[in-house]
Amino acid sequence: MSVSKRQHGLPALVSTLTLLLLAAPFVGLLLSTRWRAFGFAEGDGNAIAVSLGYSALALVLIIALGTPLAWWLARHRVRGVWLIDALLLLALLTPPLALGLLLTSMYGPYGPAGSLLERAGLVLTNSAAAFVMAQFYTALPYYVIAARAAFEAVPRELEQIALTLGHSPWRSFVHVSLPLARVGLAAAIALAWVRALGEFGAVLIVAYYPQGIPVKLWVNLQNIGLGAVYPLLWVFFLVAMPLPLVLGLAARRRRLI
Amino acid sequence: MRIDYRIERPIDLHAAFDVAGFTVLLGASGEGKSLLLRAIAGLTPAHGEPFGGTAPQHRAVGYLPQGYALFPHLNAWQNVAFALRGAQQRAQAMALLERVHMAEFAERYPGTLSGGQQQRVALARALARRPQLLLLDEPTSALDPVTRDDVVAELIGEVHEFGIPALAVSHDPQLAAVADRLVLMHGRRIIQIGSPADVYARPVNGAAARLLGLRNVHRGRIEASAGRWRLLWPEGGVAVPIDGRADRAMEVDWMIDPDAIRLLDTAVASPDVVRATVEVRHAMGRATQWGLRCGQGRLWVSAPSERAVPDTVAVHLPVEAIRWWQREA
Repeated sequence: MSVSKRQHGLPALVSTLTLLLLAAPFVGLLLSTRWRAFGFAEGDGNAIAVSLGYSALALVLIIALGTPLAWWLARHRVRGVWLIDALLLLALLTPPLALGLLLTSMYGPYGPAGSLLERAGLVLTNSAAAFVMAQFYTALPYYVIAARAAFEAVPRELEQIALTLGHSPWRSFVHVSLPLARVGLAAAIALAWVRALGEFGAVLIVAYYPQGIPVKLWVNLQNIGLGAVYPLLWVFFLVAMPLPLVLGLAARRRRLI
Repeated sequence: MRIDYRIERPIDLHAAFDVAGFTVLLGASGEGKSLLLRAIAGLTPAHGEPFGGTAPQHRAVGYLPQGYALFPHLNAWQNVAFALRGAQQRAQAMALLERVHMAEFAERYPGTLSGGQQQRVALARALARRPQLLLLDEPTSALDPVTRDDVVAELIGEVHEFGIPALAVSHDPQLAAVADRLVLMHGRRIIQIGSPADVYARPVNGAAARLLGLRNVHRGRIEASAGRWRLLWPEGGVAVPIDGRADRAMEVDWMIDPDAIRLLDTAVASPDVVRATVEVRHAMGRATQWGLRCGQGRLWVSAPSERAVPDTVAVHLPVEAIRWWQREA
């Protein structure tokens, strides 16, 4: 019995320690927040609206464009797939600040795509569109990689059976692939949301304005000091948390999504 | 219904035969039987009739893959209703479940059903599509050995009741024995077609006999020794005189019915008597089959269960009970 106790004891001990380490910064936040003087800086409300609204828009774009790609990668053995893998990795690896610079060099006023788009009326510097673009680029690879794994876990045989039962490939995708991949897809969406919402580096370069929460945190720190950072950070957690939390819980229950 | 399909990749396979009632295509693993079913269902590229050239969703086949592939996120009636359209979906699905005696399990999810129950739900789902042909891939492989005979009887009864021709592919001789029609496949060719009774009574060659699960099928050689013909079984170290039944030397597969072999006292000495030791005892009700070790080979001998058999015995192989087929080069 003592052996089995020890076997269970060590992982539990290590897990507790890891969780404590994970929690430490937030305990710090709890202790450092000046609750009596809890107040917001000017523009904080606007930053919350910008972050939530544009992140939601970026998320919709990521799901709309990333899902077909993820499914295609999961289901088709294309030659040179390693090139695609390398491209996805490259997008993941690029430091956010560098990604911002690269986006500017392509979509900025002097970039090849930027100058064309600007003529068509789409300005991709310091604009709402630029903000969404920066979020899109940082979060897309995370979504594609997670969603691809989710689709790969769906037995291909079940999709084929749906065909033999008279369903078109599209209906088979909607009624079999999507529901069976739902846990993984929910995780992918949650990941993309967190990644887009928290993005700082790329957004800072491409779209200093409009200011979302991450950039506003930095601006508050520069202009006012630490005291102006914590209240906004609390709100950030409050507004960012529900979507991934609910997605994670719901996906584990049958037929909630 | 006439099946005529040619597959080129991943293996080259051509199969043409008629499906009538419950037809079993019997073949060893790796012959491409499952591939043939997938080809008929339109899930793998192939040429042939029926349904050739149409997309899988437009082929009127009911396909039951190995393991049945029920949708784990849908319960039994939703699985059946998956193939149905319109407002009456649920009622129609329930009626089909009723017909396969699964109505009481309508709300259960596949993971909670036994292999036989899953098979019946899958059958109801395949029938919901109103197929002209049922395709069953190894229908006995996921069944509990204790109940499999009853489940198979039920399955065949239902297939007959619905009146849809069914093609089951299998390597299970027990399933072959209960078919309406039996097709044997070996070396990616159809080697024999007929009723199970005919095929079991007259297998066309040693490969067919092995597929059918017949015991005592061995390799051997017919040769002349000192002017007399004999059947040599090198593995067992046995030579049986077969004078008057052979006129040329050849490599053969030979077979002897376990019922035809006689157990003798070890004192008897004769050229067609073989010494053997008991390896395994297979009790099958009134008769028992004894697995005897002869040299490097094994002979199965059937004897009444009450008979006492010593560890070392002599067996007599009556030449008239031996049949052989020339081996193809």
